[in-house]
Amino acid sequence: MKKKNPLRKRILREISGDKGKYLVIFILMIATISFISGYLVADGSMIAAYNESFTKYNVEDGHFITEEPLEKSARKRIEKEGVTLYNLPYVEKKSGNNFKVRIFAMRDKVNRACLMNGNFPQNADEIAIDRMFADNNHLEVGDSIKLDEKNYRISGYVALSDYSALFENSNDSMFDAIKFGVGVVDEKTFKTLTKKNKVYCYSWCWEKASANEKEENKRAEDLMKVINDQTELSDFVPRQQNQAIQFTGEDLGNDRAMMTVLFYIIMVIMAFVFALTTSNTIEKEAGVIGTLKASGFTNAELIGHYLVAPILVTLISALIGNILGYTLLKEVCVDMYYGSYSLPTYVTIWNGEAFILTTLVPILLMILINLIILSRKMRLSPLQFLRRELSRSKKKKAVSLSPGIPFFSRFRLRVLLQNRFHYAVLFLGILISYMLLLFGMMLPSIMDHYQNQIHENMFCKYQYLAKMPPSLSGEDFSVDKLLKYMRFSEGVETNNSSAEKFSAYTLETYKTDAMKEEILFYGIEPDSKYVPLKLTDEDVYVSSAYAEKFELEIGDTIRLKEKYEDTVYKFKVTGIWDYDTGLYVFMTRKHLNQTFDLGSDMFGGYFSDEKLMDLNEKYIGSILDEDALSKICRQLKVSMGELMYLVDGFAMLIFVVMIYLLSKTIIEKNAQSISMAKILGYSGTEIARLYILPTSIMVLLSMLVALPINTEAITVIWHTMLRQKMKGWLPVWLDTGVFVKMLILGIVAYGVVAIIELSKIKKVPMDLALKNVE
Amino acid sequence: MFLELQQIKKHFGEGDSRVDVLNGIDLKLEKGEFCVMLGPSGSGKSTLLNIVGGIDRASEGSILIAGERTEQMNDKQLTQYRRNHLGYVFQMYNLIPNLTVQENIEVGAYLSDKPLPLEDLMKTLGLYEHRKKLPNQLSGGQQQRCAIGRAIVKNPDILLCDEPTGALDYKTSKEILKLIETVNQKYGNTVLMVTHNDAIRLMADRMLRLRDGMIREDVRNTAKITAEELEW
Repeated sequence: MKKKNPLRKRILREISGDKGKYLVIFILMIATISFISGYLVADGSMIAAYNESFTKYNVEDGHFITEEPLEKSARKRIEKEGVTLYNLPYVEKKSGNNFKVRIFAMRDKVNRACLMNGNFPQNADEIAIDRMFADNNHLEVGDSIKLDEKNYRISGYVALSDYSALFENSNDSMFDAIKFGVGVVDEKTFKTLTKKNKVYCYSWCWEKASANEKEENKRAEDLMKVINDQTELSDFVPRQQNQAIQFTGEDLGNDRAMMTVLFYIIMVIMAFVFALTTSNTIEKEAGVIGTLKASGFTNAELIGHYLVAPILVTLISALIGNILGYTLLKEVCVDMYYGSYSLPTYVTIWNGEAFILTTLVPILLMILINLIILSRKMRLSPLQFLRRELSRSKKKKAVSLSPGIPFFSRFRLRVLLQNRFHYAVLFLGILISYMLLLFGMMLPSIMDHYQNQIHENMFCKYQYLAKMPPSLSGEDFSVDKLLKYMRFSEGVETNNSSAEKFSAYTLETYKTDAMKEEILFYGIEPDSKYVPLKLTDEDVYVSSAYAEKFELEIGDTIRLKEKYEDTVYKFKVTGIWDYDTGLYVFMTRKHLNQTFDLGSDMFGGYFSDEKLMDLNEKYIGSILDEDALSKICRQLKVSMGELMYLVDGFAMLIFVVMIYLLSKTIIEKNAQSISMAKILGYSGTEIARLYILPTSIMVLLSMLVALPINTEAITVIWHTMLRQKMKGWLPVWLDTGVFVKMLILGIVAYGVVAIIELSKIKKVPMDLALKNVE
Repeated sequence: MFLELQQIKKHFGEGDSRVDVLNGIDLKLEKGEFCVMLGPSGSGKSTLLNIVGGIDRASEGSILIAGERTEQMNDKQLTQYRRNHLGYVFQMYNLIPNLTVQENIEVGAYLSDKPLPLEDLMKTLGLYEHRKKLPNQLSGGQQQRCAIGRAIVKNPDILLCDEPTGALDYKTSKEILKLIETVNQKYGNTVLMVTHNDAIRLMADRMLRLRDGMIREDVRNTAKITAEELEW
């Protein structure tokens, strides 16, 4: 039987003998592992809940809205296309200027609701509303809610399976779960609500699923034609184009890669910190190791021994971290998801990948990095250990320092040079923690700046975008269609002198590295009183947001395509307009109408500084005012606010732990010199000036150097993230206040560590120097 | 012959900075022999001990121990050689601070397939009552006894002692020397001891005196006395 190495008995004593060090390592590793584990478990469970919701709640394959209720015959004709139709009418009610609620009758066949809390409405005047919307507006189950002068009792919270992201319109750039919500009432109550302003909405489900997205699009197009023949369509939204359904699915799991990389970086840094502290222990135990090696202990046995503590700590941290991840932190992360999306209830799903990622990978990283450093160290001969000649390079000459430098400064420089590897790791730790801190702190700054930009960039108070009913599209010219067109033209005319017509057209980006995005073309009057651009009929100006996101310069050619067609357009950029809050192309109205063959009189809406009261609401697609444009800021602040606080806290934890561990190691390494300095008669303050000041200088320098590096890095990361994962453009903006706050936080955190280190210096015994002299 | 050294030479540095430490040492030791090496500082006695112990390499010459040549061994083979044949005792005790006396000795026992009975050894060392103490709870002499226990428990062929009494007072030094004498007699290990203490030659079977890297005196002790009788 193989004998057990008696050195193993040291491990637990070693850990309990240096409680401070191991405690902070445990805290940091458990915090990191539990957060990542919780995130991955929550992410996996939520993705599963979202994916399951399609069958569990029978989510529609699309819906359309008609001007009038469908006739029986029309319905039969449409259903011949291989679809089942469901009536899902709704009404919208407002609560003063605060929010709007889209109310449906209880659904039992399609787009069923998931009850999150309380009960479904059973009585008249009861309503169950979306959980996230309720949270954002501080509405509790049992509260009363006043909608269009009528009071309802909130019977419960629901998640509607076709509104996992609360997009009011599918064309909106961002959903708004603060000002827009959905709710359900019972059938009887619904009937009383729909005497006027009822929206005739029909959902459809294919009887046979499509083979792929292309076939799905083709079938949807054909279906739209058939519906158009039967009735007057005012909206037609296949499921793939319904952001209220798709957005959540596209966003879930998006942060996984970033989180994983961040986790690896932290684990690598922790492994380095461990390797450094172990190196320190080895230096301290050089005599023992020399004796053991001289007695016949192999390198493998000794390396194995010194590897046990980091592995054990990582393993225990991983186990505790995973337990916390599956319980406490999963709940925190789930809450973050529920803070952004109206997801249904979920079941925690065991995530093997998460377990491997948060257990096996950190252990492997810990082994690998420690193995490399320990192997280098252990390669020294027994004699070198016995003589404490632990530097691998032979008899290094001391760096020459001018005698003109005052003694204390020279001493400090020696401390700095001696511990340069420690300070390099310290810098790396500060760099990473500051990066996280900057990430956490920059979001409010970006949002505030964006909000200001929206205000400053608005070329008018209101933009009205006309919405041509889908039934008017196509190239057939029936009498009925002409009549409808005339009605539409009348409905979008205004007599308000503030209004200025513009043309609008939307194309989709084509073959770029970024995700697909809709670009809005504005065709403006050459002498526009709202858009201060002097354009010729050849000019194509892009907004600075568009130019930045797609890295465009004047003279570049942009290629864009029709959303559901293969037609590709090419434009040469002749100018960039300083407009940060939207991805737009500007050209003259004539130029736009000619380019897209719209007819010279065609227009897409109005710019106006006054509300246009004489437009037919039916033909207004959307009104863009400051409030509407601020939607993205509002929603991001709500969705990410909690996460940012968490990131800030975590960043500070890493910051403190790194500085604490490394400055502790430096003091321990110099304990004998400190002891000797005490014997020689140096005062505590003088010793602190020698050993704490160099670390203070390095911490401050690291912070100052980290700031510009991180600003550059975070700008690149943020822009890459926006390009690949988000629509729209939010330019990085960092207030000076952010840097000041970061520096203050850093200095305060270091101050705490310095006080602890000062007390450590005081505790170094004077006989230490005498005991270890050989 | 158990240990045979032939023309061992050792130098440090090259060219102008070359220092010759050993200048051709020839030595033969019998199994169980107790040999003391004396000489002034810089005479090469510790270097010679380290070369015999396989923790330093000779520049020239050959070493044969129990039929094995060490000069051609790589680092792994040398480690195995030390593991199988050698026990080391230094002036500094180098005990593991967070292991008890017994556990420190077990560290040595781990290296051997046939270690000496632990309890018996601890009794021989006079450490049985202290077996559960940590090194910082022991006196210098007790710590050195523990270090000897760690070296001897694996029952090595050769016990190499580098100034084992260098840091101890007269009384404690005598205790340690008595212990080494007992170990040598009881377990039959060859003992090679480096010391500055001239009196110790009187308890040894053989005395080597080194100067300038050469053996200047090689005397067999015919009037051997016990450690108890030693005085200096």
